[in-house]
Amino acid sequence: MISTIVIVGWMAVGAPDPPERLEAAETFWAFEAPRPQLLPAVADRGWPRGRVDAFVLGALEDADLRPAPGAERRALIRRVTLDLIGLPPDPDDVEEFVADRSPTAYEDLVARLLASPHRGERRARMWLDLARYAEDQAHIVGDNKSLFYPNAFRYRDWVIDALNADLPYDDFIRLQLAADLLESDDREDDVALGFIGLGPKYYDRGNPMVKADEWEDRVDTVTRGLLGLTVACARCHDHKYDPISTADYYALAGVFASTEMFNRPLDGKSEEKKDGQAKNPQDSIHIVREGKPVDLNVLVRGDVNQKGPVVERRFLTVLGRDEPSKFEEGSGRRELAEAIVDCDNPLTARVLVNRIWTALVGTPLVGTPSNFGSLGDRPTNQALLDDLAVRFMDSGWSIKWLEREIVLSAAYRQSSRAEERTVTADPDNRLLGRMNRKRLDIEAWRDTLLAVSGHLETTIGGRSIDVRDPDCGRRTVYSEVSRFRLDPMLALFDFPDPNVHAAKRVETTTPLQKLFVLNSPLVARHTELLAGRLVGVETAPGEDVVVARIELAYSLLYSRPPSAAELELGREFVTAAGTPGDAIVWRQYAQVLLASNELFFID
Amino acid sequence: MARKRNERRQQSPLITRRQMLGRAGAGFGLLGLAGALAGSRAASAAVPDGLPHIAPRAKRVIFLFMNGAPSHVDTFDPKPALAKHEGEQPTGRHKNRKGGYMPSPFEFRPRGASGVVMSELFSELPACADDLCVIRSMHTDVPNHEPGLLMMHSGNQQPIRPSLGSWVSYGLGTENENLPSYVVLCPGRPVVGPQLWSNSFLPGEFQGTAVDTSDLRVDRLIANLTHPSFSRQDQRRQLDLLARLNDLHRRGRPGDAALDAQIRAMELAFKMQIEASDAFDVTPEPRRIRDMYGESVFGQSCLLARRLAERGVRFIQVYYVTSKSKQPWDTHQDNNGGHRRLCADSDRATAALLVDLKRRGLLDETLVVWGGEFGRTPYAQLGKKNTRPGRDHHHTGFSMFLAGGGVRGGLTYGETDELGMHAVKDTVHVHDLHATILHLLGIDHERLTYRYSGRDFRLTDVHGRVVEGIIA
Repeated sequence: MISTIVIVGWMAVGAPDPPERLEAAETFWAFEAPRPQLLPAVADRGWPRGRVDAFVLGALEDADLRPAPGAERRALIRRVTLDLIGLPPDPDDVEEFVADRSPTAYEDLVARLLASPHRGERRARMWLDLARYAEDQAHIVGDNKSLFYPNAFRYRDWVIDALNADLPYDDFIRLQLAADLLESDDREDDVALGFIGLGPKYYDRGNPMVKADEWEDRVDTVTRGLLGLTVACARCHDHKYDPISTADYYALAGVFASTEMFNRPLDGKSEEKKDGQAKNPQDSIHIVREGKPVDLNVLVRGDVNQKGPVVERRFLTVLGRDEPSKFEEGSGRRELAEAIVDCDNPLTARVLVNRIWTALVGTPLVGTPSNFGSLGDRPTNQALLDDLAVRFMDSGWSIKWLEREIVLSAAYRQSSRAEERTVTADPDNRLLGRMNRKRLDIEAWRDTLLAVSGHLETTIGGRSIDVRDPDCGRRTVYSEVSRFRLDPMLALFDFPDPNVHAAKRVETTTPLQKLFVLNSPLVARHTELLAGRLVGVETAPGEDVVVARIELAYSLLYSRPPSAAELELGREFVTAAGTPGDAIVWRQYAQVLLASNELFFID
Repeated sequence: MARKRNERRQQSPLITRRQMLGRAGAGFGLLGLAGALAGSRAASAAVPDGLPHIAPRAKRVIFLFMNGAPSHVDTFDPKPALAKHEGEQPTGRHKNRKGGYMPSPFEFRPRGASGVVMSELFSELPACADDLCVIRSMHTDVPNHEPGLLMMHSGNQQPIRPSLGSWVSYGLGTENENLPSYVVLCPGRPVVGPQLWSNSFLPGEFQGTAVDTSDLRVDRLIANLTHPSFSRQDQRRQLDLLARLNDLHRRGRPGDAALDAQIRAMELAFKMQIEASDAFDVTPEPRRIRDMYGESVFGQSCLLARRLAERGVRFIQVYYVTSKSKQPWDTHQDNNGGHRRLCADSDRATAALLVDLKRRGLLDETLVVWGGEFGRTPYAQLGKKNTRPGRDHHHTGFSMFLAGGGVRGGLTYGETDELGMHAVKDTVHVHDLHATILHLLGIDHERLTYRYSGRDFRLTDVHGRVVEGIIA
């Protein structure tokens, strides 16, 4: 089961006997391959629309709870549109959907959204967070930008395109880890290697200790990002809780020690250095290439001066049915990719299913999305997770299939308002007896601002933008992302630090965020544009112009007409004595609606 | 404000302030909602419990950072033996330095009743000698700025860990809900930059709020503090309407604390426009006080630090950076001239801060820290012909000082060897300094943890020991 070398590595740092831990691993849920599940028997047979719902309902009924009623159509179209493409629905689309009597109205809407190229823009950001995508380095010595990634956007655009094309997830991973090693006539996909090739390059990177730090970044991003395992913990000592040894860590680190960061010249036109790299980073794509294959010594307690035994490059012991065989081809990157996407790997599909589920539903199935190990959370509904994971692989690793499966479920279509009994019994909504009320992230929030002000540019892909530029109408996914100085607006609104893999976004609520909403030039500009739209509304003779403007605002921002009380409050605000004039008071009114909780939350 | 907070904490031992924030799932400043929100959400695992772990000696920290690293043998650690060995080559890993040992040209004298020794480069600081606790036995892991800065700020050489100020904010929260708990003052950017005040994996509310002090006009200091055209009355009308609309929205969605948190944050932002405008504006200070600190950016930043401290900002970092240099103390050439100029400015501002804090009764509860990322070599670094000799980076022995906040004043702690090369007695590693700073704030550095990536992280990793000998 376990090689001699591993045992030596284990003994060297004095950890408990390894077979014991591996034995425990055999019964740990995450290390057993997911299997197709039998559907639970449910009492309310009319509710489930598919397999997802059977598992959700089974769990609810076990707790003596029942699902919430379905969401009303306006809430549903706003929800599914923001969730799938990250933009609010167009008022015309809302009215059409509300009036659509076809039994497949919702299915048709979902099909349209999944086919939208904006879906790739939405989903890409999830991936870029975990890939710690950035375009520069945390350390800048003087004005030296030679380690920057001016063409990083080409990787970002590749991710968007791949998601829009529904590239199977296994190929999506293969290309990002080893595109250069796959047989192919064109090299268009090599830019995918930016997954590793855009990683941080630390100060003084020739230094052995700094090299070791860079390997750790690569191992961490790959293992937490793709496998949901915190392998980097084993750099200094055997993992304290999971069956991952220092030997496992250095077996993987060896793959990256055998891989070089590479600025490959763009076709023909750029000057090359002796080593084949582009002289100027702006004339290149930032990828990786094979280096000299090397097996690493275990570094005892992570100390570069204390070399333990050499470990051959290979995959993690715990994730294979058999003892992992050593990687034979070059660095071993291709073999690593294959081991990750192997259908017998118990983690890869589950980890991705959990990420997509969380992005759409709000509550995760596993609360620690990048740690499925023993210190991570246990799944709230393992049968559901496993059933989805198996069927996801059977679908040909289609992320679109997965998204469709989730948003078509009755569980997803529930109202976010539930009976008090359900809320009391399950305050964290682990059982999904209602839909979660979700917050807009910074991308969806700014993009909504652009959309409702009528200033959204819909071009897909291209060079990065200054996201706070009030006149820039491009989507937030195209922001410049800096490791050195993350844009202050992005930082303020919980965009993760791109120096490391981000497992999930933390949600904070601070007055500084609200100062941005109140006073920033960006909000001021889009408020002005939105107010212009409202004031410019055309009215029929005899129609109340104030009502028409308020109605337009509510349809654009909230996908619904205003209530009588809201109309009255609006009218009072814009017509009160002493207001500073029509143009300005409508700006102030528009800003209030933009700053509201209703805009910021998805029911 | 501060006193009120403490009372509240003592009155309700069952629900700590931090748990409250955790339940609200929201940022600083939710205390006002305590009653409304209690029990409405499960407590977050992210929030530290049981604080303070020990009786706090200090409530806040002002860290005066001398970017580029000051020379210990020219400031607080006199080495007469350097004269005897002048020009001789150091041994070991330092050998083959063309310059050889270089004595300090500056005269050292014991100061105050306690006799804390400092060089003639300081003319104002001697008046505060009895408040200073000079540590002569500091050491760190590497002699390079980037990793050295990161180590001093976050206990790790790579930009992947939260900063000291973020840990403190996370542990203790804010004393003033109308201001950020962690403020960073710097003209432009120091070397490394914002990673030095990063929250890293801690929640975003604990990141340092960076204020560019190149222009001290208050509307330039804080982004988005005022609206470009709407008056305060206009905004009040807006917020009143917003409150009504949010209230209608909330009525149909009872029991969702996240909605309340947003409403509260908006009201706080409105108040903060006034509070921050006042806190960050040094112009109302009497001319006499402004002069005492000196007209330099560092001087006025120290004054600003005092204003923030007295308003309850928890952690204030002041960087000694100039418009010309991101690390002015990096005196590879003309070490003596550089130190003469830099110390004069730093001396005046630092002494003014200590005196001013003391006069206001704030020094006892405010820990002031002075130092850089490491020290400078006791031997010379020779540049081109006709340039005056400098000193290189040096990490195995250097000096820092602490004052106020529960440290023993008038103390000189630890020693380097005869030539100032290595800390040899009562050595203090950066991790030990961090452990001690947390201790003075009432935090056990081993118990302030955050669960991330499958394990509990702490500022001091697996290191750090509280330097009991410097605590009053």
